Amino acid sequence: VALKIVAELVQECDDADVPKAMEAAPALCNLLQSADNTILESALSCLGMLAADAHGKAEHMDRLCESKVIDTAMGLLDKDGWKTLGDDTLPGILGLLKHIASASEKAVNSLFDLGVCDLLKQMITYYSRSHSGSDKLEMLVEFIYQLMRPLGTSGQENATTEQNAHVDQLASIVTLITQVAKCGALSSVCYRCIVVIGNIVELSTPTFLVELQKTANLSSFLTCLLARKNRHIVFQTLEVSKTLLKKHHQFFFESFTKEGVKHVIETIQAQEKNRNSSQKLKRNNNTQEWCLCFELDLDSSSTDGCKIENNAILNLAEEIKKSFVVVKENNKSPHRFGCVLKFVKDFFVRLNRHALTVPTQDLDLCKELSDISRKFLSDELPSTSTFTFAKSGSAKYLVDYLSNGAYLKSNLNNCQDLAQQLKEVQHRLQKFTHLALKVSNGSSVKPLEILVDKLLDALHMSYDSFPVILSDHGQRTRESTMIPLRHSRTQESELLDIKFVKARREKELRSYGGVLPVSLSSKPGEIEAVLWPEVSKGNAQGSSRLMFSYKGTKLQPSTTIFESLVRLMNAGQSDIMIDSSFWDEEYRISYNRNKSENISSSSSCNTQLFAMQEKHEQSLVKDPFFCTLFLGKLPGDVDESDPSYNLLLTLKVLEGLNHFSYQLSMDQQVCKFAEGHLRSLDDLEVTISPIPQHQFMSSLLTNKLEMQMQEGLFEDGLVPSWCVYLVETCPFLLSFSARWKYFCLTVHRSFMGDEASAPDGSSTPDEASASPDEEEESDAPSEASKKMKKHKVTRDNILESAASMMTKHGSSTKTIEVVFEGEVGTGRGPTFEFYSTVGHELQKLGIGMWRGDNARKAGETGFVRSSFGLFPQPWSSVGTSTRGIELSDVVKKFKLLGHVVARALLDGRILDIPLSKAFYKIMLCQELDIYDIPSFDPELGKTVLEFQALVKRKKFLETSSEKTPNPNTDLSYKNVRLEDLCLDFTLPGNPEYELVPGGSDKIVTLDNLEEYVNLIVDATLKGGIAKQVEAFKSAVNEVFALQTLRMFNEEEMERILCGEQDSWASSKLEDHIEFEHGYDASSPPIKNFLEILREFEREDQRAFLQFTTGAPQLPLGGLASLDPKLTVVRKQCDGNVDNELPSVNTCRHFIKLPPYSSKEIMKTKLKYALAEGLGSFHLS
Amino acid sequence: MSSSSSFPGSRFPFAAGGAGAGASGGGGGGGSGSSVRPWGSSGGTSVSSSGKRIQKELLDLNASDCSAGPKGDNLYHWLSTIIGPQGSPYEGGIFFLDVVFPLDYPFKPPMVTFKTRIYHCNVDSTGAVSLEILKDGWSPALTISKVLLAIKAIITNPDPYNPLVESIARLYLTDRAKHDEIAAEWTLRFAR
Repeated sequence: VALKIVAELVQECDDADVPKAMEAAPALCNLLQSADNTILESALSCLGMLAADAHGKAEHMDRLCESKVIDTAMGLLDKDGWKTLGDDTLPGILGLLKHIASASEKAVNSLFDLGVCDLLKQMITYYSRSHSGSDKLEMLVEFIYQLMRPLGTSGQENATTEQNAHVDQLASIVTLITQVAKCGALSSVCYRCIVVIGNIVELSTPTFLVELQKTANLSSFLTCLLARKNRHIVFQTLEVSKTLLKKHHQFFFESFTKEGVKHVIETIQAQEKNRNSSQKLKRNNNTQEWCLCFELDLDSSSTDGCKIENNAILNLAEEIKKSFVVVKENNKSPHRFGCVLKFVKDFFVRLNRHALTVPTQDLDLCKELSDISRKFLSDELPSTSTFTFAKSGSAKYLVDYLSNGAYLKSNLNNCQDLAQQLKEVQHRLQKFTHLALKVSNGSSVKPLEILVDKLLDALHMSYDSFPVILSDHGQRTRESTMIPLRHSRTQESELLDIKFVKARREKELRSYGGVLPVSLSSKPGEIEAVLWPEVSKGNAQGSSRLMFSYKGTKLQPSTTIFESLVRLMNAGQSDIMIDSSFWDEEYRISYNRNKSENISSSSSCNTQLFAMQEKHEQSLVKDPFFCTLFLGKLPGDVDESDPSYNLLLTLKVLEGLNHFSYQLSMDQQVCKFAEGHLRSLDDLEVTISPIPQHQFMSSLLTNKLEMQMQEGLFEDGLVPSWCVYLVETCPFLLSFSARWKYFCLTVHRSFMGDEASAPDGSSTPDEASASPDEEEESDAPSEASKKMKKHKVTRDNILESAASMMTKHGSSTKTIEVVFEGEVGTGRGPTFEFYSTVGHELQKLGIGMWRGDNARKAGETGFVRSSFGLFPQPWSSVGTSTRGIELSDVVKKFKLLGHVVARALLDGRILDIPLSKAFYKIMLCQELDIYDIPSFDPELGKTVLEFQALVKRKKFLETSSEKTPNPNTDLSYKNVRLEDLCLDFTLPGNPEYELVPGGSDKIVTLDNLEEYVNLIVDATLKGGIAKQVEAFKSAVNEVFALQTLRMFNEEEMERILCGEQDSWASSKLEDHIEFEHGYDASSPPIKNFLEILREFEREDQRAFLQFTTGAPQLPLGGLASLDPKLTVVRKQCDGNVDNELPSVNTCRHFIKLPPYSSKEIMKTKLKYALAEGLGSFHLS
Repeated sequence: MSSSSSFPGSRFPFAAGGAGAGASGGGGGGGSGSSVRPWGSSGGTSVSSSGKRIQKELLDLNASDCSAGPKGDNLYHWLSTIIGPQGSPYEGGIFFLDVVFPLDYPFKPPMVTFKTRIYHCNVDSTGAVSLEILKDGWSPALTISKVLLAIKAIITNPDPYNPLVESIARLYLTDRAKHDEIAAEWTLRFAR
């Protein structure tokens, strides 16, 4: 209370009173150490105000410093302390430090001594990753700027060693800032960053800048920023470039040339000239641009907005250009740079020439090519600048080479030729994969990693290809941690009034006068369905019959009408801010008859390719990825002229290559064996390993998507087409969490179609017919008010209860909760318990679902054990029951599994069922092939692969029989004749599954080995499990479209469905568990408790989680994301404490722990409770 | 878990005779008429793939000092004996092993466990054997006789660098004499 008075006093006191107020500072500082948050905060605000008042008066500031403000403030921040601080406290502290630093040099020094740099680095990294801290990032950047100032004024002339050290520290911060600026989605953050960098540059010595260029690659950074459309950023960046050149002309001229700054500046110059001339012509037409000034409050008084004059950029660019010219005279072209560029270009041209020739057997050429590829990948690539890389068009060449552009250009009608081409492409892929994933001598990074880095870097230059569209509407601050799974519609969805008018010269159509309200997510195709019956005179069939245009520009059929409009109206802008007037206006869109029959030539090529793939015995090429590759373009209709297109395509190809590296290189090994280069089957192993998936993630795009998803209208359909496009075709560019969020926000549209459409229903056609994703009619909207649905199940007959529940509510749009018959528990706990019990039930022996079930001894009960994950057991198409299990029952169980999986995904439940990676692949609609068998059955997989190799060798020897005198010796299976293996044509492990009719009497020999291998692969991965898989997939589709899951990969699906596997990192325990009602982290029982938890084995952990949360696994994100947090409270007990048992509240994740007298007693009691508490909800 | 007491009366439950009988039975029957009932097939008349293979191995089995054959009428469950190799501390011992063939034999390795206790760094107290070819090194080209030979080899030459019982391996490496002494003592106690 006293503090509040002080605060008011401080507020009122003016300059004269400052000295007096200063006397209070030490006392306030002491208060900073207080544990209570409110005291802390008010003390902080007092100090902050003090500092602000004393602004500019060094003597006051020094006094403040003496009172250890800095020490205590830093103490609060230190050692991850800043993570735990409240949302208001951190800005307070930063603001305080900022004020102090801005005025007092001494303070800055002591800040540096206290390691402020490391702290800042940590914080910047943290906030730039968390996607929610852009405001905090801004504060940090500002703080750094303040730190810089005093350093600069004194540092230049008499740089002491101490200050040099500080500068060094700052250098590493600069590296970070450049990263932030490059990847930051917000232009304002980016702008701040460049201003800070500008200041740093301004103040530093030339030698320091040279160092900086080496560590942070400033030039490349500048290029990246100059490529943006935002004029403020460009202007600032130009300023920075200018200063850089002034400081160290020679050096920076070279690096600018190399990294492309020069080139970009020239482009800008040309652009600006054009702009100026065009602006003169249509001055009035100039719509007001959304200017950064408004957001930054740079000049709040000026109403015309932009401070930058139109010619400023041009002038600046010309100035710099002039200085270039000066240099050119005394410096004959930089040789090294030219060399590299020439080499790169040369390499790719050569590659391409090779790509265009018909595949030859010319060994010399191949060898030469692989030699320079190696040289390129290992020696040249690391030193090549991103700019050079991008400018040389390498991406395009590379894709052309890998996809063998030749066959696209020459029209191949002959299947023979196509097969030849496919073979060649596969060959090239294998070679390239091998080179790209091999660690070259000396370096620890694989060439592919460098290549991907460069590509991503180049992608950052095309910042403007992915415009974020924001509205001033709705709540822009969405809590980023918890996303509601189902969007509760609190307000009417936003609609645009659009007047459709007939195009002027259109004669075939009738006119349509009305105004249609159009929802945000409507595409031209949907409008057409409504409009067509009204305006058509005849009854022509076909899909795209109408063409829409707005002010003379044709609307793209793949973009929503809303987005097209917004982008057309804000042409020339990067990120778009929709102002409120946008919604009130009425738009006129004209339509006319679409005459161009756009049956694209590629589609015929497509079908031909598909037919080819079907025939091709190599199942490897059947995956969609290879389709992309062979077509040499990304799926869907996209603007191929966009600068980012080739980069995306190349990244997609490389990602696929990485993903299939095992398959590709195993295939290569098998071929080697077949040709006799490998002697023994034991040598059939893959030596390369793929690079981790996260290497392909682009932080810029992730940030942009995150920002777009914070937009309140995102769920309603304010989804720019690039979001949809990226998620569908290049999901690997986005981080997992961003995609998961995207899934949560958009999945509702794939199943509650009728609710998503406009209220009057007539405006937008029913999405159920328009979008292929649509599978399910949801319940009547009137029920939507209730978000939960309760269902009663019986524990004894859980599977049947579950099945009936799923048929009843499976496709409901509401969250389903479960109550057990005859038990009191309700809410989250029992529901979690329900899902994990069903999961267990479906793993039981004797239900015929999974591989390994067959190995059970008669009468054995328990679970199917499988260390590599569960995979469906093949069922012969002939017999419908084996050992008392009916196939129809199995299919039913798979159907149930599908329902449960889909429900669990939607409701955020966790299934405790260890599915195999291969099964997840099925879920994600990927094709399985022979190389997937080892992932769930290593022994069988290995042998089948060896057989396959043998088959290949036999074929090879048959085609070139002269070379080896005695083929038979080479064709034994590890020195054993195949006949001696005594294999017949039944499925291994399942003698009743005959691969061919009468298969049990047919012995496998060398001659029918190929048939045998193919049959086994088919039975294991396709034919044998087709019915089960079909049941599973259709069940998921009843809830939501399975297709939407394709944005994830196998590992991510497992994380989503089964929770975190290893999140029990003991260091995090106390961070994520809360202690209340008589406990805090330091009370002895809690210390014991934490120790016990740390000692727990895997099984105990599961039991503990099951006991406290109802599910044996933690949700995605581990303990940290448990909501509500796991909380330990003191259990009040009378009498002897040690006789009591702990109890839980699974819904609120409470564990009531009696304060036991010793650790041992606590452990026994806990274990007892864990064992007893399982399987019922009585210990509540 | 189990010790020598599991074979109280007879030291040679079938030894050479058992194997011979099994071989003749398999040969004569040629599958359908065999006295050995293929496990797992309820009504079928033919012997499954793995059954055929196991019968063939039974026929081919002619190792001199290891013998093996089905235990009872279950083709998939064999009992085998290995005589302690001469010159090793296990000399004179007779070691019984359980061999269980999985249904998908020969794609999966047989499960081999010692029924007689043995002091050996690659065999633990439950009788489990650590042998590469019984795990990842398995290949359908291997047979049970090759496996038994490999086990014999490892009895003579233990592999202390990949041990199952750490303490025995340590003793083997540090004090070979002591190790051999204990091994011989155990052989005397459990394997005779």
